[in-house]
Formats: sequence, structure tokens, C-alpha cells
Amino acid sequence: MLWAYIGKRLLIALLQLLGITLAVFFLIRLLPADPVARLVGFNASEEVYNQAEASLGLDQPVLRQLGLFLGFFPDEQGGLLQGDLGRSWVTNEPVLSEIVNFFPITLELITIAFVVATIIAIPIGMVSALRPAGKIDRATFTYGLFAGAQPEFWWGLMFVYVFFFNLGWAPAPLGRLKPLTDAPDRVTGFLTIDSLLDGRLDVFVEALHHLWLPVMTLVLILSGPIIKMIRQNMLRVLESDFILYARSSGLRSRTIAAYTFRAAFAPALTLLGILYGFMLGGAVLVEQVFSIGGLGQYSIRSILQFDYPAIQGVVLTITAFSLGVYLILDVVHAIMDPRVRT
Amino acid sequence: MTRTLMSMLIALMIVLAACGGDGDTTEPAADSGTTGDTGGDTDGDTGADEEDTGDTGDTSDAGAAPAEITILAEDIPAGLDYDGPSAAIPTSQTGMVNLQEPLVYYRSAGTNDEGVGLLDFGFSDENFEGRLAESWSFDAATLTWTFNLRQGVVGCSGETFTADDVVYTFARAKSVSGAAPIGWFLSNVASIDGFDTGVFSGEEGATDLGDEVVKIDDFTVEIRQSAQNKLFLPVLTIFGLGIFDKEMMEANATEEDPWSHDYANNVNSPSFGPYCLETWEKDNQFVVTANPDYYLGAPDIDRIVYQKVPQSSNRLAAIQSEDAQLVERLTPREFDSLAGNDSVDVLGVTGNDNLFIHMNFTIPPFDDPLIRQAVAHAIDYDEIIRVGYFGNAVKWEGQVPASYPGYHRSDTQYDFDPDRARQLLDDAGYADDGSILLSYVAEKESTLGPIATLIQSNLADVGINVQLDPLPQTQYGDRQLVKKDLQFALNDQEKPIGVDAGYATLLFFVSTEAGGLNNMVNYTSATVDDLFSQLINEGDEATRNDLLAQVQDTLQEDVAWLPVVERKTQWALSPDLSGLVWHPDNSIRWADLSVGG
Repeated sequence: MLWAYIGKRLLIALLQLLGITLAVFFLIRLLPADPVARLVGFNASEEVYNQAEASLGLDQPVLRQLGLFLGFFPDEQGGLLQGDLGRSWVTNEPVLSEIVNFFPITLELITIAFVVATIIAIPIGMVSALRPAGKIDRATFTYGLFAGAQPEFWWGLMFVYVFFFNLGWAPAPLGRLKPLTDAPDRVTGFLTIDSLLDGRLDVFVEALHHLWLPVMTLVLILSGPIIKMIRQNMLRVLESDFILYARSSGLRSRTIAAYTFRAAFAPALTLLGILYGFMLGGAVLVEQVFSIGGLGQYSIRSILQFDYPAIQGVVLTITAFSLGVYLILDVVHAIMDPRVRT
Repeated sequence: MTRTLMSMLIALMIVLAACGGDGDTTEPAADSGTTGDTGGDTDGDTGADEEDTGDTGDTSDAGAAPAEITILAEDIPAGLDYDGPSAAIPTSQTGMVNLQEPLVYYRSAGTNDEGVGLLDFGFSDENFEGRLAESWSFDAATLTWTFNLRQGVVGCSGETFTADDVVYTFARAKSVSGAAPIGWFLSNVASIDGFDTGVFSGEEGATDLGDEVVKIDDFTVEIRQSAQNKLFLPVLTIFGLGIFDKEMMEANATEEDPWSHDYANNVNSPSFGPYCLETWEKDNQFVVTANPDYYLGAPDIDRIVYQKVPQSSNRLAAIQSEDAQLVERLTPREFDSLAGNDSVDVLGVTGNDNLFIHMNFTIPPFDDPLIRQAVAHAIDYDEIIRVGYFGNAVKWEGQVPASYPGYHRSDTQYDFDPDRARQLLDDAGYADDGSILLSYVAEKESTLGPIATLIQSNLADVGINVQLDPLPQTQYGDRQLVKKDLQFALNDQEKPIGVDAGYATLLFFVSTEAGGLNNMVNYTSATVDDLFSQLINEGDEATRNDLLAQVQDTLQEDVAWLPVVERKTQWALSPDLSGLVWHPDNSIRWADLSVGG
């Protein structure tokens, strides 16, 4: 029963992925610019233009370009079906290998930020719900308004100004390590893990030192909705019959809080998963502010340079990641609540 | 449980972050300032005259801390193949020129009053110094240049430079096998025989190098032109004809990629230049070490970290906090904010950076010369210099950079005169309908946005209402270079890297029918085309300059472009650094720099 459910969800995810692939392929070709112009620059004679256009494959009919991208002509070049995302038109590197390089950098940033935000926000949300209109609840309400009033990059720039430039508590926003530090051998792409695997505790510490400000920027933004979500769910559960019954039975407050949290957390889990996927988008600007060369910066560069293969690769990756997270959530939800499987 | 875990994690983060606070936990030499020669010996001699170890990674003298600096830019090289897809990106060119070596280059011409080194631009032999070519001669009868190549030059791979490397470089350029054939383009501009559009014909052998570039012996090469052309030596200085290390390139060739474009673009660009590539993490960091065997002597600075920091405000903060020693491409406001800062020097040069207004000759109302002249008189140039560039610019009084050979200041000038502008509009019968769009590159909003707003206001004062139209860089480039349908635009990114008024004329003002390369405003002038056809093969410099003066007079009268300002190219750097030289591609040659002095 559960496996059938997973199979069905997997099939839907694949169809969604295909739909987005096709949409992105055609939409970027509707953009009002010609990537060949960027390539030829001041050397834009007709002959050179034609040669450059052919080198990008843009002289082919669009449907044939689609067929090549999807991998229907494997004898000519690999495509999606062969696990090949093509080559970047800016760097000429395989897009897949570029994404493999950049994605763990973003994943490390958002995962740490997500964990920290969750650890901070859930207890605050619980306390706010258990003591509505109390000091913490009012402070949280104010914070929610304050944090959500400005975008991530604005907070990032403010944090750089205050914590690096004025106070000197944070390092210069020059990336994941000091420029002169030798990075550890790449294994996972997560600097914190690779430095430990390499036995470089100094680099591990330095990586954390460079991460804390971008992480706090994301945490500031992310914590607001998590607190609000936990608080609302808790309040709803606190008003439910079984909690009223527990109270009337004289159970201790701590026990009631635990019951409430358990009941409130199941729906919150789905929203937390969505937030995790959503953070990929939020990380784009934070990466830009802190010079972290992850998938966010890669996507900005690809879009500005009209690098079609790279744009397609980034969108596919983000989509696949989000669908993967949703799939896991659906499965967990199905395990927790068998009614969902029907 | 949750509370305990949270407390532990926060405590751990704080303790670890505090540990990493401000100390140098990694490298004793990697302090925040320049890291060379702290013991007083600042000559940066890295032992080039000592026995060669062949190891490019360790170039320091025994006992002396290696000199290392960090340079921050908005990007790092995306590729290192000048015939590849990223050759148009300025930071890619920076990578190329620091790894590769040209045959000849301009001689030094002292420094300007800010201490920036200048070059001796011109066409005669005296303007050039031999690099990989030790000497050269030209036979006008056969249009053939003979280059005597330098012996004993060793590249980063350990290979020795010979005539084969030169022949390989030109053969690769003629193959037009890369995504954007810059090498062919420059050879074509220099009138090297056989480097014409016939290479795109698809005919067998059309892309094969013939006897136009031949090896006479291991250290002699002959290059034949199809016509005499003054641009030959200037073109050889440009990044797109740097000499490849043939052995390394061929060792990395494949059947599908016989000219090693993938290798040159993604792995290394092997040559005989002053620096060798150490590590290259695309979109993040590009690290080079000094070539200990460099024939001009190993560079003073042993190791350079070229780091991508996209936000200019972060580059500004990093140079102020001494986390970097040199930063590029700050906004004019940010450079201005460094005035009076004792820990940062700001150097600049009025080189070839400029700002002009692009009016399309085929799109009304700018097909009318009176309208173009009216716009020219409506602009408050002094205000743009003050508001847009904080005084670091001068009014541009010509159509080519004033620092270039052949520049001529025409008597026809357009000063800020709104009454005259209104009169010209009346004479032209201009009827304003508010439909004109003033386009500019959206990514340059912080610099061009205020200037565009000022121009919008100036024009509204005389009765021309324009809408601002910021466009993404790629879209702007497409419309400017290929479609050529930008009606009215603000442009600060055109600079002829061939240092000559004649090259600028060919690039921007000769009509497409007459062989013009990038005539973005669709300007057509029989006078200019005719004068250019006379000057291109003119051997006498005085006559050539006279023809160029007539060209520039015509361009000014026609308002082919509306020149606005020549702005300074600027850098912010540590006072410990010296030796900065301005090069016309605006890429710093890191080998020019020294620590101390």
C-alpha cells in the first residue's frame, strides 16, 4: 500500500519535472535577447555571427534543439536521457559538473540556516502559544513584522556593515574562507565536513566563522514564519477537545505542552519542508551579498549571460530538489497518517 | 531536550566563531596586509637568477616570506581561451594576459601625476619593445615581417619557446574552430594574408595556415600581410594573439577538439607569461604563482589570489579593512568615499573609459542632424561630471580617446546651451510625443542611473521627453551589436583596444558596406569611408594623422556619437603596492606590481 503510494507520487513528480523542463526550454527562448551577440561581441560580422550561432546549435530548428537537449539523438550528442545537461555557453564546462560543484555550497548554507532557524524558532513558537499576549509573544509579533519588512539582501548588507565593518566580529564577506587559506580536498563539497575529513580543524573553525553571518541573515528571515506557524498550530491544538480533557484531568503543563506539540508538528512538518525548498531561492541574494559562490550566484550569472544550458540545468536541479523534498514529506506524512494514502 | 540541544549548538557556534575571530589560524604569512618581505627587504627578488628548480609552486628565497596579495574583482576568469565563449568578459581577459605572453608590447612612457604607469602608444618601432620576439624587420616589397625570436624562454610547463609556438598560434587562429574567433579577427584587422572571410566559406583547406606565417628556423618566423597596415604591431599586443605553448596544447588535444579549446578554456592557457596557474575554482577564486623562469625575471609578487566579490560595496569594505590589497571596478561614489583614507590609495588615469550618447541614424527623430545637435547642446556636461563621476572625468571633445595616437580635437564642439537646443528643435520642426526611450545597461544602474536621470531632466527642459529604459546587459548587447535597433542609449563600455584613432574609426564609424565592424548607430558617411580607405594603407604618419583629423572633424559635425565624458579608470590599493601600469584593455598586469617601494 505504502509502496504503491510512493510509486504514484514518484510518477507525478517525474511528470512535473518533464513539464517544467519543457516550459523552461521554450520560455528562455522567448527572452528578448540573442545569446550569440554576447558571444561575438564587437566581432559581429555576418560570417562570425553565423559560425558562433552554429557553435551554440542555435542554427537548428527549435524542435530539433529540444530533441538534442532531451537526448533523442544520442549518436550526435548526449542529452537529458543520458544524464547530460549540455555545456555552459560561458565556460564551456559540462553544466552537470558545474552544478555538482556549486550545489553543495548552497545546500550547506541553507541546511545549517534551516537547522539553526528550526532550533530557535520552534521553542519560541511554543512559548508564544502557551502564553498568548505574554512578553515573548508580543516580542515575537514585533520581530515578525520587523524581520519580514526587509528582503534578505538588505539584512545581509546591514549585517556586513554592523558586524564586519563596525564591530569587526565577522570576517570580510569574501566567500567561504579567507582568500589566502588553502581549501581542504573536496569530498562532499560541504566545507565544514570536508575540513574535518581532511583533519583541518583550523579550516573548520574558519568556515564556521565565515558562515555565521550569512546563516544568521537567513535565520532572521526564516524564523518569523516558522514561529508563526508553530504558534498558530499550537493554539489550534490547545483549543481542541483532547487537550481540554487533558487539562481537566489535571495533567501537568509540561505533559500537555508535549501532547500539543506532537499534534501541532505534523502539519507544520509539511510547511517546514516547503520552507526548506523555498530557501534555495532566498539563498541567491545572500550568496551574492557574502560572495559565496554557490548555485545562487551560478544561476544569476547564467541568467544575465543568457546561458541556456546552464539556466535549464539550474531550474531542473532546483525543481528536482524541491520535488524530492516534497516526496519525502508526502511519504513521512503518509507513514504518520495512513488516511493520506487512500 | 530541545532546549538543551539548542543551547549546546548556539554555545558551540559562538565559541568556534570567537576562536576564528581575527587571528591568522592558517598561515603565518597570510596576514591581513601585503604579506611580502616584512623584514625590510622589499625588492621581491624571488631567486630568478639562482638555479632553476622547475617548480612553479615555490618561488621564494630561503628564509623570506613569500609575497602574496589578494585582488578583488566583480568576477574572475570564466574561461582562458581567447577564441572561446568568455573572451568578451573583462576578467577573463585579465586571466589571459597574466598567463600569456605577446610577441611585442608597448614601451613604458613614465607615469602620470597620480603615479600610474603609462605606455608609449604609436606605430613605429620605437614605440614597441620585444617580448617573445627579440627584434623584427619589415620588407615593404614583399609585405613580410621577419621576427627574430628570443631564445631560452621557458614556460610554466617547462617547455622552451620556439618558432613552432608562433606558427601554432596563428594556425589555431585561422582554424576559426573556437566559439568566437578573436585570433582570426585581430589577424584580419592587421591585414595578415589569408585571414579574410574566406575562412568561413567551408571550402576544403580554407582554414589551413599556408605560407603567410612560416617558420624559417627554430627562432625566426615570417608573417606576410596582404597590404601595408599600420595596425600590425599594435594588434600583436592585444590579448587575442598571445602565444600558446604548442607542446602543452597539443598534449591536451582530442580528436573532437584538435585545437584544445576545452583545455584552454577550462583548465589552463599554457604560455610563457609571468604567472602560472595554481588553482582555479570558477565563479570563486583564481590563484597564480610567479613563473620562476620568466625571461624578464620572476615577478616581485610570488602568489596572487584573484577573488570574486560581486558586490562593489564589499570590495570597498575589504580594501578598507585591509583584507585585500587591490580592488577593481568600484563605483565612482565608492572611489570618492576613499578620499582621505590613509590606508588606501586611489589611483586613476584618463585612458579610454568614456561615456557617450548613442543616437541611431536610421530611427527618427535621430536621422535628423538638427535633432542630434539639439541633444548635444541640451546636456549639462559639468553636472554629469560632478554628479555622476564626482569630478573624476573630463568633457570628451572628440570621438576617440584623447590618449590615442591620431586623436584630434575638432573645432566643432557642443557646449551646454539649452537656448540653442530649443532653437535647433524649432528649426527641425520637432514634435515631442514622449515616445523616445533612453536605454542603458541595467546592471550599471548605480553608475548610469543617476546620469540617465540627469539627461532625462536636461532633455525635458528643452522639450524632449524621454523614458528611461534599463535593459539587461545581454539584451542591450544584442540590440546594440547585432540588431542595431537601439534608438537612443547611454553607453560607457566601448573602448577600442587597438590603440589608434584609425582602428577606432574602422570599429565604430566606417559603414558596414565599406567594411565597418561595429557601426552600432548605422552611421553612413561617404566622406568618412573615403578618408578611411586612404588612411588604412598610408605609410606616412603625418599624412595619416591629417586624414584622421578630417575623419574626426566629419564625425563631430555629424554627431556620429555624442561624446559626453572621458572618465578615469581607477583602482583602490594598499599603499604598500607600487608599480601599477594602465594597459588599454584595462587589465592589470600583475607582474608590474611590487610590494613596497
